[in-house]
Amino acid sequence: MIELKNIYKNYGSLEVLKNVSMKVGQGEVVVVIGPSGSGKSTLLRTINGLETIQSGEVYVDGIAVQASEANLHKARQLTGMVFQQFNLFNHKNVLDNVTMGPIHVQKKSRKEAEEIAKNLLTKVGLPEKASVYPSKLSGGQQQRVAIARALAMHPQVMLFDEPTSALDPEMIAEVLEVMKGLARDGMTMIVVTHEMGFAREVADRVVFMDGGVILEEATPHEFFTNPQNERAQLFLSKILNH
Amino acid sequence: MYQLDFSVLNEYLPAIMDGLVMTIKISIMSIILGSIMGVAGALCRISKSFVLRSIGNVYVEWIRNTPLLIQILFIYFGLGVFFNLTPMTSSVLALSFFSGAYITEIIRAGIQSIHRGQREAALSIGMTDWQVMRLIILPQAIKRILPPLAGQFITLIKDSSLVSVIAVTDLTYVAKNIVTITFRAFEVWLAIAAFYFILSFGLSLAVRKLEERLAESD
Repeated sequence: MIELKNIYKNYGSLEVLKNVSMKVGQGEVVVVIGPSGSGKSTLLRTINGLETIQSGEVYVDGIAVQASEANLHKARQLTGMVFQQFNLFNHKNVLDNVTMGPIHVQKKSRKEAEEIAKNLLTKVGLPEKASVYPSKLSGGQQQRVAIARALAMHPQVMLFDEPTSALDPEMIAEVLEVMKGLARDGMTMIVVTHEMGFAREVADRVVFMDGGVILEEATPHEFFTNPQNERAQLFLSKILNH
Repeated sequence: MYQLDFSVLNEYLPAIMDGLVMTIKISIMSIILGSIMGVAGALCRISKSFVLRSIGNVYVEWIRNTPLLIQILFIYFGLGVFFNLTPMTSSVLALSFFSGAYITEIIRAGIQSIHRGQREAALSIGMTDWQVMRLIILPQAIKRILPPLAGQFITLIKDSSLVSVIAVTDLTYVAKNIVTITFRAFEVWLAIAAFYFILSFGLSLAVRKLEERLAESD
């Protein structure tokens, strides 16, 4: 479903991604973890072309993302993205946030788009908030709307860029719950997160990154009980023993 | 001793009204054209293309660093050498170019003040650059720039009095004529100032109302 081949990116002398390769299969849930500055968010953002790269190839469902503007556009429609800062459209109410993609990108009728949106808002537990503006929602609610907005495009893959990092602790669970539901439904997901509980419970595979390279890839069980890489061991000991 | 006599205003009211209508007409046309130029200018200023960016910069700097009166004279008399421009057309062109440069800067700042996450979210659902600008960035930017934009429009209404120098029969031109005939300078100029005040203040009240309506999503 997703294939990254030798992705290289630098900002001047700072190498952010050093020839990273990765594959994600249909229906797989991959959790990417690592210290901040390890390149994990950047890697995720190369998949839908929000980040440009110096060399390497990105394939989404067989489409070479970097090859042309048209491919990039197509790949973006196959991938849904959820951001750390939610990034809901502040001038649109919840329903319009969700219908925007189907109406303007997929050219669906407003009626059809609203039906999709209402179903999705029910799915994320916010059917009563359709006419509310983002500024009136809690962080957890905003993030759930953002998930609904991404799902409205019927993506093949969902990309989550630290979706709970900007949330108050009591709101993290409600967002993770929605994400778990998606995973159960068989959605292909790549999740950059610091939520180890989520990784342990939901991930098919854990990818550990540091310094712009993937240092370890393993099942959650192997990774959390018996990490092979030294830096992964150090990272885990730091975050699990506090 | 000078005796105040406001009755001249009554006598020349039809002429004053004609001038007022002309001022409003020029102002509205210049606001519309100036806004279009402002949007175009702003898009040039933030464009990826070096050529467009340079055009935007030259336009803004040239207009902002030369006097409006000279611009009006240049367009009417200067360009008049090559094109047959009426005083009215020249006025609208000059005022539009002039306010367009300031509006360019206002809109550019507004666009750049919108968090880049808005753009990224819109791109991620598959919108094109133009859709992102039209549906996501500009609507939010316009809300933010309404106050400085209103200020610019008000400046334009007041600056329109300068076009009287190329014999456009606006409020100021009419007033000059009435004063010449009646020697009632105090009364006439006071009344004309009041008319400009009503136009400008009325516009600022209208914009305030609009701001309140747009604040719905805050």
